[in-house]
Parts: sequence; structure tokens; C-alpha cells
Amino acid sequence: MKLNSTSFSAVAVLFASVALPGISHATVTVLGWPGGSEETALRATVEAYNAQSGIADADKVELLFFNRDGFFDKLQADMAAGSDAFDVNLVATYSIGRYAPYMEPVDLGADAGKVFGESVLKTMQFDGEQYGVPTDLSLHFMYYRKDLVDALMQDDVAKKKYAEIAKEHLGKDLQPKDPDSWTWDDWAATTLYFSKQVNSESPVRYGTVLQMKNLLFNMMVFQSLPRSYGADWTDKDGNVTVDSDAYKTGLELYKKLYDAGASPKDSLSYEYAETNAAYGSGQAATALQWNAAAADLTNAEKTPAVAAVTGIVAPPAGPNGRADHIHGLGLGLNKNAKNKEGAVKFLKWLATEDAALLYARSGGSPALAPDVAAKVSKERPDLVKLGEFASQYGYVMNGATSANALSVYELQAKEFTGYWAGQQSLEDALAHTKTGMQDLLKK
Amino acid sequence: MAIVNRAEGRAYLTPLVGFLLFFLGFPAAVNLVYSISTVSFETLRSPSLSGFGNYAAVLADREFWGAVSFSMRFGVLTALAECLIGLFLAVFLTPLLAKRSYLMAPLMLPLMVAPAMIGLMYRLVLHEFAGPVPYYLFEWFGDSPAFLGVDNAFRTLLVVEILQWTPFAFLLFYMAYAAIPLEVREAASLDGASALKALWWVELPLMLPTLVIAFFIRFIDGFRVFDNVYALTGSGAGGSTTSLSIYIYQAFFKGGAIGKAVAASVVLFLASLAVLYGLNWITGRGRR
Repeated sequence: MKLNSTSFSAVAVLFASVALPGISHATVTVLGWPGGSEETALRATVEAYNAQSGIADADKVELLFFNRDGFFDKLQADMAAGSDAFDVNLVATYSIGRYAPYMEPVDLGADAGKVFGESVLKTMQFDGEQYGVPTDLSLHFMYYRKDLVDALMQDDVAKKKYAEIAKEHLGKDLQPKDPDSWTWDDWAATTLYFSKQVNSESPVRYGTVLQMKNLLFNMMVFQSLPRSYGADWTDKDGNVTVDSDAYKTGLELYKKLYDAGASPKDSLSYEYAETNAAYGSGQAATALQWNAAAADLTNAEKTPAVAAVTGIVAPPAGPNGRADHIHGLGLGLNKNAKNKEGAVKFLKWLATEDAALLYARSGGSPALAPDVAAKVSKERPDLVKLGEFASQYGYVMNGATSANALSVYELQAKEFTGYWAGQQSLEDALAHTKTGMQDLLKK
Repeated sequence: MAIVNRAEGRAYLTPLVGFLLFFLGFPAAVNLVYSISTVSFETLRSPSLSGFGNYAAVLADREFWGAVSFSMRFGVLTALAECLIGLFLAVFLTPLLAKRSYLMAPLMLPLMVAPAMIGLMYRLVLHEFAGPVPYYLFEWFGDSPAFLGVDNAFRTLLVVEILQWTPFAFLLFYMAYAAIPLEVREAASLDGASALKALWWVELPLMLPTLVIAFFIRFIDGFRVFDNVYALTGSGAGGSTTSLSIYIYQAFFKGGAIGKAVAASVVLFLASLAVLYGLNWITGRGRR
């Protein structure tokens, strides 16, 4: 009996010695986005937060990471099960509505708008409530080959050929232009001109690289084209408007370019990595791609074929001007948090200018208001462009933060790629998408 | 006299039965409840019973039948090809392997790689700008097909699956072929049977149980394919490479249609049971 008691005590002491340090050091647990620059930046920022003199031991922050694969599915299952393993969790624009039932809104204070700008704060809102601090923003850049475009602009014979191709394929009288003033038609004519299948004298194989895999993220890349023609998911009354002329125009243009050979034949299986590889090979003149690719595509060691000749502009303009699809990662409050007070304190601090600048300097990609971004312009020139594009052209579709936003993107990916692959007509694709979206977006 | 009496037998079996009930019975029961309920991630703990609407939705869903068709074609074609190639290799390589058994190791190598890794590997190998296959096709012929384009994706996926899993069928057939007693072959030879006749009338009938088992193991694996297809093409343009497993995964996690996804998995479970019982009946009849 004595042996049993002794053993029990020993085991209890062992457990206590393992568990207690965790309890004594940190009581605000933050579930972050694992791997990559986001993790590095969050670690550095949290370290600075914990080092502040005014932070009580009970409010210090501990970080928790797991794998990126299936992250949001696992998070959903965890939160649905009422997990209190973390006080603050990662949230993304397109999934806020899905997680909102398990989260609590946070008031970030009036200064947050000055740090990030209202359009960026909106990426973390659902039903008019702020559900998170926007930590990293993603949008799209139009990457293009400066050397090829410059050569085209200076060659009268090439200009004539360009005009012929534009007339034949697009039915429009167009002349080569500076990429920063491209309309989608200008871009389309340029991609056709630089495609071997259309112009056998093209110095590269393809005019562009379209990401057309049946994947929700590819729909985010595509979305800015119809948006610049006035597209939205719903009108102000909540009616689904995906069968609009704007969507038709965008979908038809992608198909026209794909069918004409302006994009690789395998484009229907292309996503982020394939696009980088294709553009980086030096065989494509343009690519509409995520801003995250800028670091690689302009790095001479990683992409020697094109790094020195790659230009970056915002996506081309439509009749309604330019549009750039933005979505962000952020951190918000778990409804079942054990230490809500400490968690809110940390989130409010994270929304301050000092914290945002520290996060940016540590490698994160926050979209900052122009005057705030100017303070890190030397260390992070890319953030200036990110903030500028986000504030000028950034948009979130009506319903894109709702509970089923992710499913809407999935639905569009399936139906739109079916049209691009020639498996169904444009009318059928839009009719199926509309029916599905009506079901997904109904309150 | 029995080694253990009935009571002792029951006592020994209790942990196993308990284990099965807990780890298989409980999820199965939950699945059955969810399949006849309206349930979402918000109401996982309080699903409301709603009858057989989920089953009706699944059976009326064109995507479900598209996925069934994909999985069926994929399962049958890959199982057939793997067994035929595996059998061919087993018969022709057995004399070589009898003398140089170390050659077995490289032949088994594809089995060591996780299917998801195989998918990622072929994404790279077949990529027009990074992969060696399109590179050489462009070098030699000036063009390369779109291996993962909508017209070729199914064929490419078949080849990838067959290349990875043929060694499995080969291993089973090699063991079965090598296990045929030498006396049987000698008797057939003395009776004047040619090599081809001995294979057809003597060796293949003796290998038949292994052939059947290998075919159905490979069919089941092909039918429930997920990893390599998901890594290579996802669900494909317009859902053209959606296997039944991908359909269930997407309905559950991406679409949040938990009841529908679970109903589809129950339908799959029942269909699998029917196939297995059917096979059991066929092989039983064959033995009689």
C-alpha cells in the first residue's frame, strides 16, 4: 500500500513538473498560420509583446502551430467541438462566416482604421462586426516581361502585327501600351501577340499563364477580371448576380485565350506553383499571380531567367476601372477562450501601428495605410505596392465573408473550369453556379 | 477435448469484441444517425433527424453518379492492367529472380512511396516547363501533349496508379507462381504439355485464388483512390476526375454538407458489402 501511495505521489509530481511551467509562463494561447514568413513574423512580434514591462505573466502569449495541410478543415472540426486549446485563432477572409459562430467580435479601436485602412479591415468583418486583426494580406499582381513589352513598343513592324492580331481575335483596333495603363483587352492582345500558336515569330512560347485548375484559390485570381466589368456575387438586395454580362465577358475572355493557345495546354491543372514555374522559365510574357510570388519572381538566384526583366503592375482595367481581389489572414478571438481578457488585450495591441510595423519588419505582409507603409518602405518596398493596390483597387465581393463563401468559390471553380474545358456551355455553367450560389448564400 | 471451454473462449473474445464495438461500431452508429439528420458543423452534437432526404439528395446528384462512374472505371481498369502486367512479369522474371533475388528490391521500390508523394512527383515530372518528360518531347518532336489536360487526365492518372501498384500484384503472383511444386510442372511436361499449355491448364488454375484476391484488392484500392488523384488534378476541370472518396471529402469539408457526405459513404459501404458478398458467393460456387 505504501508503495502504491509513493508511486502515485511520484507520478503526480512528475506530471506537475511537466505541466506547471506551461501554466506559469503563458496563458494566452495563439493558434497561428504555420510555416513561412507569417510564422516567423508572429514569433518575433509575440516575443516583443511578452517582453513589454506592462504585460502580466498571466497575459503573456504562447504560440501554437500545426500543419498547413487541411488547416482550415481541422480548425473547423476543433472549433465545432468547442475546443479551448487556444484563445486566439487564425481566420481568413473567405472563412470568417464559417468560424464566426465559434468566435467573438473584437473592438480594435479607432486607430486600427488609420493603421490598415477601411478596405483592409473589411477583410476581417462579418455581418458588420470585426472578427479579427488583419495580419497578412494577399492580392494579385500582373507580372510582365519588361524586355518583351519594351521591344514591342519600339518596333513598328511588331506594332502592325499586334494590331492585326487584336483585330482578328478580339475584333478591336488596339495598339501596344504601357502595362500600367492596360485594359483587359490590351492585355489579351498582348498575350495573343506573344503566343507561338498565334504569332509564330513570338520570342516566347506563351503570352500568359492562366491558373485554371478546379481550385477555389484560382477563382480568387480570376475574380478581378469580371469585377472590373462591374461583377458582384449579389446585388444590394441579396439577389445572386453571377449570370451578369460582366462574368460572361471574363469567362469568355479566359476561354478565348486558352483555346487560342495563349496559355499552356495544361493550364487546366495549373495553380500557384505551376504558374511560377511557367513564368519563371522565361517562356511566358505575362502572368496574373499572387503578390506572394513577387519575392521569388524578382529574385535572380531563384528565377534567373526573368528576375531582372520582370515588371509588376496592378491587374488591368475594365469599364469600371481596376479591381484587385484581396483576402487576408488575421487573428481573432475564440468564443471558448480561457483567457478572453488577455486575448483581447493582445489583439488590440496587434492592431496598433507599432505592432503592425514590427510585424512587417519581421517578414509579415500586412496591408498598411500609405503613410504607415512609408515608414517601412526602405526595408519592405513590396509592402508599399501591396498597401497601395489594396487601398486603391482592393475589394471583397458581397457575400465573400459569409458562412459558405468557401463553398461558393469551390462551386465557381467546378462550374467555370467545366466551361473552360469545353464540358458545358457558358449558359449552363452560369445557370448551375447561380442555382448553387442561391442555395449557399441564402440566409 | 477442446483446449479452452466455451466460457473461457468468450472471455478471451470479449476485449476484441469490445474493441471492435467501440472503434468501429460507435463511428458506424454515429454515421448512420448523421446520414438521416440535418447536421452541420454548428450542430454536430445536436443533429435533428430528418428522414432519408440525404440519401435522396445523394442519389439524385449528377456529381455523385459521375464520381461513381469515375471510381468504377478507374478501379476496374487499374486492377486489370496491374494484374495482367504483374502476371506477365511474375511468369517471365521468376527464373531470373530465382538466381538473382536482389533484383526484387528495385522492383518493389514504387510501393515504398506514399501515393500523395507520387502525385506531387508526377506533377513535377509532367510539368511543361519543369518536367523532364515534356522537355524531351519538345526537344525531339517540337511539342508535348497536355498530360493533365482534360482529354488526357484520366489516362495519365491510370498510368501513374498502374506504375505504382503493379509491383504489388507482381509480388503476390511471383510468390504463388514460385510456390507451384516442381513435380506438378514435371508431370505436365511428361504428359507432353507445352509451356503455354502448362501455364494455361496447370499453373494458372493453381494460381487462381491469388489472381482473384489480387484483382479485388487492387480494385478496392483503385475504387477508393484519393491521394495521388487529389495531388495531381484535384477534382479535375468541371469535376472530371472526382473519385467517390474525393466527392465525399469535398461534400463534407468543402461543402459542409455533412449529412449528404455521410449518406454517400453509407451508400458506398452498402455497395462494397454487396460486392464482397457477391464475390464470396462466386468463389464459393467455384470451389464446389
